[in-house]
Amino acid sequence: MIRFEHVTKRYGASTAPAIDDVSMEVARGEFVFVVGASGSGKSTMMRLATREITATQGSVLVAGRELRDLPDRRVPALRREIGVVFQDFRLLEGKTVYQNVAFVLKVLGSKRHTVKQLVPETLELVGLEGKANRLPHELSGGEQQRVAIARAVVKKPPILLADEPTGNLDPETSRGIVTVLDRINKTNTTVVVATHDQSIVDDFKKRVLELKDGVLVRDEQQGGYLRDRRFDEGRGRRGSDAG
Amino acid sequence: MIGEVANGLRRNASMIISVILVSMISLFFLGSGLLAQREVSLAKGYWYDKVEVSIFLCTAQSTGVPSCASGKVTPAQRSQVKRDLDSMKPLVQEVYYESSDQAYARFKKQFKNSPYLSQISPDAMPSSYRVKLSDPKRYDDIVNAFSGAQGVEAVSDQHNVLNTFFRLLKVVSIGAVGLAVVMVICAILLITTTIRQVAFSRRRQVGIMRLVGASATVIYLPFVIETLLATLVGAALAIGLLWATVHYGIARLFNDHSGSGDLISVIGVGDVWSIAPWLLVGAFVLALVTAWITLRRYLKV
Repeated sequence: MIRFEHVTKRYGASTAPAIDDVSMEVARGEFVFVVGASGSGKSTMMRLATREITATQGSVLVAGRELRDLPDRRVPALRREIGVVFQDFRLLEGKTVYQNVAFVLKVLGSKRHTVKQLVPETLELVGLEGKANRLPHELSGGEQQRVAIARAVVKKPPILLADEPTGNLDPETSRGIVTVLDRINKTNTTVVVATHDQSIVDDFKKRVLELKDGVLVRDEQQGGYLRDRRFDEGRGRRGSDAG
Repeated sequence: MIGEVANGLRRNASMIISVILVSMISLFFLGSGLLAQREVSLAKGYWYDKVEVSIFLCTAQSTGVPSCASGKVTPAQRSQVKRDLDSMKPLVQEVYYESSDQAYARFKKQFKNSPYLSQISPDAMPSSYRVKLSDPKRYDDIVNAFSGAQGVEAVSDQHNVLNTFFRLLKVVSIGAVGLAVVMVICAILLITTTIRQVAFSRRRQVGIMRLVGASATVIYLPFVIETLLATLVGAALAIGLLWATVHYGIARLFNDHSGSGDLISVIGVGDVWSIAPWLLVGAFVLALVTAWITLRRYLKV
């Protein structure tokens, strides 16, 4: 579903690469955590996958498209196949929960009855039934992030990218958010979560890709946040945030 | 979509109003230029049809004119002029002869309150041939043929007077179009700035639209519609302003002039309506092209 082949991205000619010769593949229906400290290149990977930016070297394949050769006018079609969630939610403040989610479908030209059916369905999926008419500022952080997730998946994309989705949330709420992402993964959606939240990675035991200074240093099935899980268990699960 | 546009208009009211005003003023000047040009062609058609070439014959007082060396025009000279005129048919359509006495009578009537009237005697009034041409534009042929002919004091060239008037209108219309060009540049710059500001105030919304894969058309459409609306309102106001200018200003000023109603043939309200569609089309194209180029440059999808 997502494949990086020797991808390098430099933001400036003289600066160190944000990601350096990364090769990896995420299959359809997988759930992957991308971990690493701030500045290790997690966000750059996300932005490469949505073609916000293009790779300096190497090739990025997403949903069957080679992004290097993708003309600008085909970018919207690519993005329709990807849902994106951010740390800061990015909801439209003047719109209700329902309107925030319905906005996506309206922008993409869905029919009215499709909107009426999909929006409540999606709100239920993320656990927001009964909150449809609230405004974002009336919701807790966790609820706001659920709205953002609903907005990302209401168009039923095969890929969901989440960039630090729990960065602004407490551990309990974070677990709730990842549970929602896991539930979405069960509907045959490929989910990639970039995070430096140790507890959620350790709790959910998914595949882990670790970046360090832009280099992919680990690719482990059912991995923990830290490289050595036995060492990690010895220190207890709620260790200090390595990020 | 309608809600988005209404929201955008409300939130950026001051910028939108300035776009309306600037497009109104630029299109008003453009319309004035077009009207002045119409006036030129209208008045030309009207006047050139009415204008006659007058061939004034020598009087006893005509001194210093070589062709009047023999004093008052002789009957032989006069019939020679008449024969020459007749030979120039069909360009010469009709010829009237006006004697000195008839000229004096007409002069007396026209200037009945003038203090100079008593100083003029019938003798001083030249007799003349009034020539109506089948093709008024070829007045030069007559002027050339009879200037300096024996017994002819002067060939009046009324076109010279008219041409001055037409030149004046030309200057007015060029000036108006020139101002219109400057104002259109202002309008383009202002529309560009406005769109950028509106895009900035909506950056989160636009960001989400891009993120979920909205096409460029969907993202641009609210901006384009808002710009079009503002510019078309400006155009409508400009047309209203032109109408008011013509209806209350020009038309009344000239056409209500007591007695001499057809002194100058002047554009009317109907002419405003006939240029109005062009102003609207102009506004439409201006807004569409400016908005699209601005969006392509500043709002990357």
